[in-house]
Amino acid sequence: MPGRILAIALNTFREAIRNRILYLLLAFAVALILCAHVLSLLTVGSEEKIIKDFGLATIEVFGVLTAVLMGIGLVSREIERRTVLVLLAKPMHRAEFVLGKYCGLVLTLLVNTCVMGLSFFGLLVARGIADPAVLLVVLMLFLQFLLITALAILFSCLSNPIVSCLLTLALYVIGHLLWSFDLLKARLTSQAGRALCGAIYYLLPHLGNFDIKGDVVHGLPVPGARVAWAALYLAFYGSGVLLLACAVFQRKELQ
Amino acid sequence: MTRARAAHKSRAPLAAAAGALVLLAALLQGRVDAAIGRSDSASPLLYLPSGRYLKVVSLGFDGILADALYLWSIQYYSNYRIEDRYEYLEHIYKDIITELDPHYLDAYLTGALIMSAEARRPDLALALLDKGIERNPSAWILAFDAGFLCYQDLKDYARAGAYFEKALRAEDVNPQVRRFYAEMANRAGDPRASLREWIAIHQTATSDYVRAVAWNHVRDLKVRIDLEGLAAGIAAFRSRAGRAPRHLDELVRAGILTSLPLDPEERPYDYEPGTGRVAYGGSRVLGR
Amino acid sequence: MSQAVLELEGVSKSYRTHLSLRKYWILRDLSLVVRDGEIFGFIGPNGAGKTTTIKLALGLLHPDAGAIRLFGLDASRREARRQVGFLPENPYFYDYLTGSEFLDFHARLFGIRSPERRRRVADLLERVGLGNRGDRQLRHYSKGMLQRIGLAQALVNDPRLVILDEPMSGLDPIGRREVRDLILELKASGRTIFFSTHILSDTEMICDRVGMLVRGSLKAVGTVEDLLRGETPPYWEVTLRGMGAEALPCGRVVSRHDDRLLVRVESRRDLHQLLTSLERAGALLVSVAPARRSLEDLLLREVRGADAGAAGPAIDKSADGGGIRHAG
Repeated sequence: MPGRILAIALNTFREAIRNRILYLLLAFAVALILCAHVLSLLTVGSEEKIIKDFGLATIEVFGVLTAVLMGIGLVSREIERRTVLVLLAKPMHRAEFVLGKYCGLVLTLLVNTCVMGLSFFGLLVARGIADPAVLLVVLMLFLQFLLITALAILFSCLSNPIVSCLLTLALYVIGHLLWSFDLLKARLTSQAGRALCGAIYYLLPHLGNFDIKGDVVHGLPVPGARVAWAALYLAFYGSGVLLLACAVFQRKELQ
Repeated sequence: MTRARAAHKSRAPLAAAAGALVLLAALLQGRVDAAIGRSDSASPLLYLPSGRYLKVVSLGFDGILADALYLWSIQYYSNYRIEDRYEYLEHIYKDIITELDPHYLDAYLTGALIMSAEARRPDLALALLDKGIERNPSAWILAFDAGFLCYQDLKDYARAGAYFEKALRAEDVNPQVRRFYAEMANRAGDPRASLREWIAIHQTATSDYVRAVAWNHVRDLKVRIDLEGLAAGIAAFRSRAGRAPRHLDELVRAGILTSLPLDPEERPYDYEPGTGRVAYGGSRVLGR
Repeated sequence: MSQAVLELEGVSKSYRTHLSLRKYWILRDLSLVVRDGEIFGFIGPNGAGKTTTIKLALGLLHPDAGAIRLFGLDASRREARRQVGFLPENPYFYDYLTGSEFLDFHARLFGIRSPERRRRVADLLERVGLGNRGDRQLRHYSKGMLQRIGLAQALVNDPRLVILDEPMSGLDPIGRREVRDLILELKASGRTIFFSTHILSDTEMICDRVGMLVRGSLKAVGTVEDLLRGETPPYWEVTLRGMGAEALPCGRVVSRHDDRLLVRVESRRDLHQLLTSLERAGALLVSVAPARRSLEDLLLREVRGADAGAAGPAIDKSADGGGIRHAG
């Protein structure tokens, strides 16, 4: 079984690196990161903050875009183009297909994040403001990408790319707003309202768990426990999402 | 002419026509700008809601949003053509940028600078800096800036001293701040506290320059304290004996002072029995 | 009786479009057996449900009713597919892969180890005539080449049963002949082949048994001879020149062009008589074309019958089947 997952993963990776969109996004990202240097010249005061904020925001945005744009088509495109038929006619579990696709995209994102992270760190070194904690931020961002990819794959199994794109991006937005639902719950008086807020708060993905940009840019310490909890959350929530995706794909009729 | 060549030839005038149209549109834009008039004062960013609500929509990018607004604010406040630009100062720096990113030191410092130096509202500046100090107790520069503002603009030395003391609580505070604190104590009317500080500074000084500066202050303070003590003693004698003492030794004999202080050159202080004034014979270094 | 490699028993399949509640039946109570070592042709017009049947056999779809078994195992179990090779209709493959990478990938999915894999990939490429094209990306392959690489992929695990969905579609006659030869070769090496097609001449040439699917029901199943037995006897079409219609001893004039006549005779005796009279009259014989009722005629008749709403019984004409099984 792992052999098949690996074969599909490597194939997905091969497809991704032969896809022009990936290079376009990556080129844009690196260009923007280097623009941070120019932007920092505009400020009165600490240029370091501008460079770090801008660079990290760029990595996050482009990482999410890559995860979403490549993730939404992973399964639905194969179904649409019928390339999946000849694969599923082989003696393999449908879950192996989904997991293989996921691992392939994870590998792609790893390469992507490394390229962006290294260019960013290179810029910091060139400006003399290198800070190893920045790499920790990039790691946490990578964990976030993994969760978003899992969601993208789930939607890819469910519907067409456009709907998947909208839903995944919507979850990204909500995932960063969830803390406000907690506040809202405290303010509501009706039982049903509070229950609904509570449900939303606990069931939707907490992407804020992976956000330590502010802390690192301001030089505040990041306890190891925080990283560990984030990784644990990813492990549980991400596995849940992938399991759901496998279940959906298992029952899918391939007309 | 073959078909291919004909097609090729027809491309050139098309390209030229396209280029001409774009050029015309560019010229038109110039006219449009002149006609509508780029309004400098009404910038929509002035009417943004408080940073607390902006934080919700920033989706975790509040740091960079604060940066962007800060960069915009610098450009906005550098534009001298906008006459009413200080109306929203507090809103922009206190309610928006520093709510989005409470640890953004530049925003506090630059905001306070604009508020005090340009808008002439030191009260707003201090309110902004107070907020910054509360959220960033380890950022001594904020308290220092507030203290300096009180010292220079408001001439409120006691308040300045209080700020400098806050600044001193931070771990990596610049040693110069201590010297400011010491001097403020003096100006606020507590030379003894000032002297204590200056002595401590002198003892812990790591460079000759600082040591020399501290010593000068110690000297002058000692003179001041001595003179004040002597003047108080003279006043006490006067109220007791009904007259000024003829000689400073009388204060000791009368039990008002235990001993007579000597000036930094180890000489007794000058006393004029006629006027009842004490004075220091030498010249003070720092001239006050 | 040889072992059943693929069995469908009372299989029905419907589908529902997203917005409506109506069910459309694609297959109704379909029962079919494919035996070990035979070439089974699955014919029928477009939209009859052939592809759906194949997908059901491969576990890509689940039936609403009935059972499907591959080598005795239920078709939904993945182990059932270990010995199966499949080529879909109008195959779409990962066009960013080269031919070798493509085959290598599929070989990996079967767990074939590295040195053996390389050998097999090279072997298969040779076998389907793509030996020197292995390094080109599939996006640069012609239709014929894609079909061939698809066949190679279907054989990568040395399967006992090969399922092909419209393997001859879109190929030129040379390509079709090559596929036919390959199928015969596969049978010769002891494999079973199940393929669907709407090109009936190919079927007549190579199939051991044929199943005819019309509108989701199996209208006939058996050998070609069995299916055509009881059909009207053969006839011949003779084209001649230099003899007037009135001089014909027998037969019916079908068409006339300049001085040529196309005459149809219904029996061997009539043919003989006509040819003899031609010789005697000194007329020129242009051609003699024996024509017989073909599967195509049978199919057209069944389709027309289905259109008219006649839900007739499926006629099992195989020698050992016997009896009439109801369909629909």
